[in-house]
Amino acid sequence: MKKNECVAMLLAGGQGSRLGVLTQKIAKPAVPYGGKYRIIDFPLSNCVNSGIETVGILTQYQPLELNGYIGSGKPWDLDRNGGGVHILPPYQKSKGGDWYKGTANAIYQNIHFIEKYDPEYVLVLSGDHIYKMDYSKMIKFHKKSGADCTIAVMEVPFEEASRFGIMNAREDGEIYEFEEKPANPKSNLASMGIYVFSWDKLREYLIMDEKNKESSNDFGKDVIPAMLYSNQKMMAYRFDGYWKDVGTVESLWDANLDLLNPKLDLKLDSNEWKIYSRTGWLPPQYISETAEVENSLISDGCTVKGKLDYSVLFENVTVEEGAKVEYSLIMPGAVIKKGAHVQYAIVAENVKVGENSVIGQNPQEITERDNWGIAVIGDNVKVGKNAVIKAKSMISKNVKEGEVI
Amino acid sequence: MRTNNMLGIIFANVHDNLIPELTEKRSMASLPFGARYRLIDFTLSALTNAGVSQVGIITKENYQSLLDHIGSGREWDLDRKSGGLYILPPFVSGSSSGNIYKTHLEGLSGILNFLNRAKQEYVAVCDSDVVANIDIADMFRKHVENEADFTVAYKYGKLPRVHDKTMVFTLNEESRVEKIDYIRERINADYSLDVMIMSRRFLIDTIKEAMEKGLHSLTKDIVGTRLDKIKVMGYKVEGFAEVMDTPASYFDLNMKMLDSKVRKQLFLPERPVYTKTHDSMPAKYCIGSDVKNSLIADGCVIEGTVKNSILFRNVVVKKGAVVNNSIIMQNAVIGENAKVEYTVMDKISEISDGVEICGTKQKNALVKKGEKAK
Repeated sequence: MKKNECVAMLLAGGQGSRLGVLTQKIAKPAVPYGGKYRIIDFPLSNCVNSGIETVGILTQYQPLELNGYIGSGKPWDLDRNGGGVHILPPYQKSKGGDWYKGTANAIYQNIHFIEKYDPEYVLVLSGDHIYKMDYSKMIKFHKKSGADCTIAVMEVPFEEASRFGIMNAREDGEIYEFEEKPANPKSNLASMGIYVFSWDKLREYLIMDEKNKESSNDFGKDVIPAMLYSNQKMMAYRFDGYWKDVGTVESLWDANLDLLNPKLDLKLDSNEWKIYSRTGWLPPQYISETAEVENSLISDGCTVKGKLDYSVLFENVTVEEGAKVEYSLIMPGAVIKKGAHVQYAIVAENVKVGENSVIGQNPQEITERDNWGIAVIGDNVKVGKNAVIKAKSMISKNVKEGEVI
Repeated sequence: MRTNNMLGIIFANVHDNLIPELTEKRSMASLPFGARYRLIDFTLSALTNAGVSQVGIITKENYQSLLDHIGSGREWDLDRKSGGLYILPPFVSGSSSGNIYKTHLEGLSGILNFLNRAKQEYVAVCDSDVVANIDIADMFRKHVENEADFTVAYKYGKLPRVHDKTMVFTLNEESRVEKIDYIRERINADYSLDVMIMSRRFLIDTIKEAMEKGLHSLTKDIVGTRLDKIKVMGYKVEGFAEVMDTPASYFDLNMKMLDSKVRKQLFLPERPVYTKTHDSMPAKYCIGSDVKNSLIADGCVIEGTVKNSILFRNVVVKKGAVVNNSIIMQNAVIGENAKVEYTVMDKISEISDGVEICGTKQKNALVKKGEKAK
């Protein structure tokens, strides 16, 4: 087997339960984003663009859709001789088998996979962030500083720092303390969930962690603190581009509408660092005589005859005449029937929104801020005519004609 | 009946001279069409959708853009170990004294070795100037059921314009071709769409015979003269099928894509039209954009007004710009407050801020590839 300097391990097994009905049947990394992408397109494209050609994808929760989407890895140029993309589900060994108990355990169970490539470094990634990053620069930084582990960090506003894992680092970037969601943060350098490990060290700590019966076998909770405790050299690698966690309904909605901001530092349209995705071979989008479209992203195969504002239409969406879609994400294959009004909502794949129904509410209509939230319609749901679905609802079953939820 | 027992042959350079402005640096096969396609996509996809897994593309000249578009054939699933895609450029042998082939038959005689080495029992020979989504699997099934020697796809309608002469069929009740004529007048008739199925053996024998006797045309000189001995069947194409043959038809055929009925006949979920992927982001409609009755491809950024137009991938329409009744190819830029009407803008062309380019319905304006209109 050809030697690889770096192997990437992408943690894609999480359920993403905070996304509710959106991840009922699919793993979080397979959630659609930005009109034609899935979340996992970002770390995968980053790998390829960074020259990392061996990627293990650790799956566990609802892997069917994700496996089908990745396939041979062709859309990302990851169908390679000696390397490429590998789906790594938990498996049975001669002495029984286990589910992945935690993120660190998932890698532990695949030590043999990594060893096959005999890498110097292992890059550990998660499948729930939107960002463009050149991992090769981070690996270079890791090598140069002689670190055992390098963690990508970015500055977040101090008032939000208590939602993140915070790295306290000296001026030269060496981390001396790690605090998970601190009440009184000492720094605002948040971990981005991107780690470079020297493989020998990681291997050693994974084996140690596995022996520790008290451990929850998690990178953030167990492995990183253990390495810090025994004075391994841990470096913080600063990143200052666009990076967004899309783990919640609100943040997923936000991150999609971010794409409509002309000043956004993600540059999806740039040729320099393309984000690749698997396409569905659809005809171009058609905007009809009756359509009114502003401030929106529209993908292949869509037909728009109604009004669109501040929205993202994924592939093959139909918006019929007189329908109005505002501040919403309409995922692949969904149909918004005549006269329907969709606002502040996420409409998942293949949903049918019936005529004259009303989905979601404008925050200004609601006096109690806590009662407002994005309305979410789960995949394949049929919403009957004239139905009303209020803000913050999560719909996973068909809605009858005229029903108010 | 899907089959991998059929070889596909496509002629990339057919009637290139009919649309000289747009085929100056490209073949008919690589002519951009319908916001995100090249003409050959329709024929190539029809073949692969029928299960064909080995396709030879006969090229002649100007085939660089075609090679760039097709690549290894991965989008059509033709990057195969067994079979796959073969580009067949003109083969100049010692005896042919350096002349590039003129007729289809000469072109085919140049690939005799390729035909001899192929293992498939059948061959589909196609041109690349037809916009249609022909069900070649069904055509193949009928060819076999009819025990035909030769099956040709045809359509009933007004003969394509200015085409030299169009091959027209007289068919009997069983769809057997009884007579072949070549007609210049624009009458309504059953005319050929230049997709033909036959056995590989039949094709090879016919080519050899024609070479020996110095004949020029497979259909005219051989098939057409022996309709009593050779069983020639017609396969009627019912959906949208049009031949690209003049600059006017280039404009009109593109504009026909704005009709949802036409798109429904061409873009079928069960037989998708594949094309090269560009991984552009979805089209972006900015504040102030006003788009009506238009086809827009991925990667476009629209700040201005677009009406009754076709925008290919990555076209930029800047603030205050107006695009009416126009075809704007890939990577073209229309500057602020510029105006284009009845215009075909070729790839990576540009219109400076405030400039107006207006053609008419009868005579479209053209901005050539890479040109900047100031």
